Amino acid sequence: MKKKKTIPIEADGHSVRLVAAIDIGATSVRMLIAGIDEGSGDIRRIDSLHQAVDLGRDAFTRGYIRKETTERCVEILRSFQEIMAEYRITEAKDIKAVATSAVREAVNREAFLDRLYIATGIDVEDIDEAEVTRYVYLAVKPVLDVTPGLSRGTVLLTEVGGGSTEFLVIRRGQVVFAHTYRLGAVRIRELLDDVNAPVARIPDILENEIHNSIERIQHSVSLRSKPKMLAVGGDIRFAAQRIMRGWDGSGVAEIKLSDLDKLCRKILAMSQDEIVRKFGLTYQEAETLGPALLSYARLAGAMRLEKISVASTSLRDGLVVDLASDAWSNEFSAQVLQSARKLAKQYDEDIEHAEHVTRLALQLFRALKDEHRLHERYELILRVAGLLHDIGAFISAGGHHKHSMYLIQNSEIFGLGARERNLIAQVARYHRRSEPKQTHPDYMALDRESRIAVAKLSAILRVADALDRSHACNVGAMKVLLEPGQVSLVVPDERDLTIEELGLQQKGQMFERVYGLRIIMVPGDVI
Amino acid sequence: MKKAASTKKPFFNRELSWLEFNQRVLDEASNPDVPLLERLKFLAITASNLAEFFMVRVGGLYLLQQHRIAKRDPSGLTPRKRLKAVSDRAHSMVAEQYRLYNEVLETGLSRAGIVRVAPSAMTNEQKVSAERFFLNEIVPVVTPMAVYEDQVFPLLVNVRMNLIVRLAPERAGMSERFAVIPLVGGLPRFVSMPSNDEWSFALIEDVAGMFIDRLFPGETVLECTPFIITRNADLEVRDEFAQDLLSEMEDILRARAKSDTVRLEAGQGMSRSAQAFLKRVLGISSEQVYELGGPPALNDFMQIALRDGFDRLRYETWLPQHSPQIDQQAGMFENIADRNILLHHPYESFDPVLRLIQEAAEDPHVLAIKQILYRTSSRSPVVAALTRAARNGKHVAVIVELKARFDEARNIDWARRMEEAGVQVIYGVRGFKTHAKLCLIVRKEPAKGIERYVHFGTGNYNEATARLYTDISFLTCDPDLGTAAAAFFNAITGYSQPVQYARLYAAPIAMRARLLELIEGEMVRARQGQKSRIRAKVNSLVDPDIINALYRASDAGVRIELIVRGMCCLMPGVKGLSEKISVVSIIDRFLEHSRIFCFSAGGDDTVLISSADWMPRNLDRRCELMVEINDAAAKARLIEILDSGLNDTVKGKWLQPDGMYLPAAPGKLRKGRRSQQGLYESACRAIDRQIQAQRTVFKPHRPS
Repeated sequence: MKKKKTIPIEADGHSVRLVAAIDIGATSVRMLIAGIDEGSGDIRRIDSLHQAVDLGRDAFTRGYIRKETTERCVEILRSFQEIMAEYRITEAKDIKAVATSAVREAVNREAFLDRLYIATGIDVEDIDEAEVTRYVYLAVKPVLDVTPGLSRGTVLLTEVGGGSTEFLVIRRGQVVFAHTYRLGAVRIRELLDDVNAPVARIPDILENEIHNSIERIQHSVSLRSKPKMLAVGGDIRFAAQRIMRGWDGSGVAEIKLSDLDKLCRKILAMSQDEIVRKFGLTYQEAETLGPALLSYARLAGAMRLEKISVASTSLRDGLVVDLASDAWSNEFSAQVLQSARKLAKQYDEDIEHAEHVTRLALQLFRALKDEHRLHERYELILRVAGLLHDIGAFISAGGHHKHSMYLIQNSEIFGLGARERNLIAQVARYHRRSEPKQTHPDYMALDRESRIAVAKLSAILRVADALDRSHACNVGAMKVLLEPGQVSLVVPDERDLTIEELGLQQKGQMFERVYGLRIIMVPGDVI
Repeated sequence: MKKAASTKKPFFNRELSWLEFNQRVLDEASNPDVPLLERLKFLAITASNLAEFFMVRVGGLYLLQQHRIAKRDPSGLTPRKRLKAVSDRAHSMVAEQYRLYNEVLETGLSRAGIVRVAPSAMTNEQKVSAERFFLNEIVPVVTPMAVYEDQVFPLLVNVRMNLIVRLAPERAGMSERFAVIPLVGGLPRFVSMPSNDEWSFALIEDVAGMFIDRLFPGETVLECTPFIITRNADLEVRDEFAQDLLSEMEDILRARAKSDTVRLEAGQGMSRSAQAFLKRVLGISSEQVYELGGPPALNDFMQIALRDGFDRLRYETWLPQHSPQIDQQAGMFENIADRNILLHHPYESFDPVLRLIQEAAEDPHVLAIKQILYRTSSRSPVVAALTRAARNGKHVAVIVELKARFDEARNIDWARRMEEAGVQVIYGVRGFKTHAKLCLIVRKEPAKGIERYVHFGTGNYNEATARLYTDISFLTCDPDLGTAAAAFFNAITGYSQPVQYARLYAAPIAMRARLLELIEGEMVRARQGQKSRIRAKVNSLVDPDIINALYRASDAGVRIELIVRGMCCLMPGVKGLSEKISVVSIIDRFLEHSRIFCFSAGGDDTVLISSADWMPRNLDRRCELMVEINDAAAKARLIEILDSGLNDTVKGKWLQPDGMYLPAAPGKLRKGRRSQQGLYESACRAIDRQIQAQRTVFKPHRPS
């Protein structure tokens, strides 16, 4: 017998946490079981399951989810729970379940999610495009980092889903553009079914969408050199496995566009029965496979690319990354801030002022941690609000806080969903003038926790904004002293801070009401 | 093949090919180099094989014929022609069985001290003993039934011996009468007789015949002859073995609860009138009657072959050896974590596989055990271990595949006991017999997280057959194969849609396609002038798609060497069709059972093991697995096993273009190579070498 390698029976300090990530999509419900090494943070995929559902057809053609489909989802989640039980995954903190476009677009979304919760106890969150993008980015990031050729240069990350198609332009690891259009494989299938000889006459609408998207990309990011295309998603993964025989799904597979075209033509020419029989797919998968591949191929073609890189990562990997890190990672935050800065620039904001206010707000937020007791995630909300609080001035100076609000609500910021954008919009809206009131419908539409957060954050933002009332960045270094009943902001007595002091007196009132603390500026030594 | 192709299709008929397989078993029974009791065993096997063959296949052919379904099989024969050919071949085979028994084996046994005493040769003492047996053991349990032509004939138990008794007419001018006596299951076939020989016995039908008139007081018994009827098997069994016949006539089958007689075996000396009577009441033709030249039910003689003592008349025992890959002192998880383990049973012991499951049941880190059990018993140590595991709080899921129907299956005691212990028992997969051999153990290890330990096999988890069948076990914790195995379980238990994984291919989804792809790959290589070669070992080769692909590959110049123990519908060595293909069949003391495939893949061999034969039923109608072996040492061993079979000049018979099997042509291969012996000896040498090596390591005692 050669050397003996024994398995340590005692834990050597750290252990592996098992988690489940569930994604309720247009054509399937999928679950990933993964192990997170609590020492190194390494993630290992352990088990992948999927079951076919008709959510896409329900939502996109009828507009609502039928009862049968709902019950089918309940059944699937229950069976997934059995698998979770095998791995002893029982606590809510180890389970993350999301629903994407199909559920989001169904009118009975709430009833559907409630039913799932009542039947299974699993709290399924319906997430929007930006959140999907965020999870996909989280999933793809580790792959980008280790793949030569993708870690540098520009990468166009694409996923054709059942209900929508996601785009991310990543340059040197930074997201510089994000966009989603609502044309997924389920809808393309319908378009194809409407015309004869589908391959010969690709529906105009698909071509249009693709061209529009590429134009938009080119408009917002200059593509000096040809980007690489990184495709993710179940359909392209399947195609890569067919084309690259023996690809085990790890790392990145590079396929030729000509091969993809060939496969695509072959599949579009097959009946669904044939696809099911030949490839062992579900009917739902068979229906969308051809259209999805066509979409990828056309995109690559329009970009004049000859090769497509395919990674087998998915939204679920992103969910696991999210479960692994309690707060949003620095890296992710950096991406979001980057995107916010771009937006600020678009609206000609005084960027120096904005950055300065944001810095001060951040300092206050951190110093007042024990007072506001807000989750770390709100730090990013505040920072983005700080960067964008004045963009409404682009529309008009009067009531610019309100313009800021709707601009933020309706802009794409990488990684932030509508929920988060709305929070940011509200914080920006209350950076001046009226405090939140019961007569403000947008504010009252928030849940209680969010209302409180908005109040706490906008109070801080007001103070920070007051501290740069002159837009001259006069308050450089500052020390925040928590004293009984008051917060003293110690600033060096170097510059004339009259305007700032005046501002604080006015704008500090909200802070005093929200925190029950007086806020004053005192000259003094900062170091 | 020009000529062959013009007249018929280039396939052998599967029934005739099956009969040729049985002939090769019979050849072993005839082989004077084989010890006497082993020869008797082979003879008994041919008899039980034939009975099963008539039940599951010939019955189906008769039904097709009766309903005038004239569809031709791949070889181009109609059911009528197939039946005729089968009947001719089976008749001559039965004649040969009895020639062998009467002329060679019985006398040989007699000389060796196992003496059959015929009634005419009994001493008085033996007669007294026989009479006592008749009165005490037979009379209390048998029931003679008067049978009449115009009345419903009693339903006799399938393939069990009966006696037909012909009674003289009551009065002159009336006709003879008949009675039937089923010899009930509890009676022994062989009745020990007092004698000076080592063991003497009388056959029960002889003992019964001697005193049968005691059951018919006042009557004149003209004749008492044993007979056996073979009926169509019940639907479940046919579903398994004759699906290709069945699909065309499911409605017919449903309408017939009780199936017809397909064969009558008439004991030696049965009178014309008795035989005619049975033919009439059973509604069969002369073609279906087999007049036996000696004792019926030669399969019963297995009992003699297995009787205690007489080891001098058997092969020397080949005990399963320890595998040198396994450290007996270490746990199985440790062993598998250390290296992939390939076991070749029965040369190597099956114990490590049992040990793995047993250790898993007790191991605190094990979360789950998932296992497929195909026909097992309450005594199975696997069942015991799984039950214990469930009691220990592990998640245990077992897919059991039983011969019986669903409801009956549930009532099987051991399955219910497993359920009671908390095992999730799944009674098969709807529409598919689960034939894959797979055990998956999920372990949460403190340092590594989830680790999966997998056993892939080519044979059942049955410790008894593991001593008789040649099979492969592959034990690994390769994460890819673990993931694939988990996905396979998720799919067959309905938790997930099937997913395709590299290196693990399941029938009916991916296996056939992968095999065709691999064959085509060799074909393309051959066309491009690269090295190409296919070696494969299966039990049966019937599937027309696979065979056609092999023909095409041969045509492209691929060298194809096949080891096919049983049925083979492929015609090898036919000019213009299959010149590059050779087929060898090995019948030896162990039943060849492993399925191993090797494709040269341009030099970097692709080697796979599988639970499936190359038959439509396995590739389309069963849940089977094929796994690609990447481990270099394991690959090398599997290739060695293939090569050993391909060079067997002692027990190997080569299939000829005309369907005959012949020993290796002289000069082609080295003489005197017996594959099973070689493999056994190398298993012994391997473990001996290891023990030697351990001995020479000096282990100084050190104060601790």
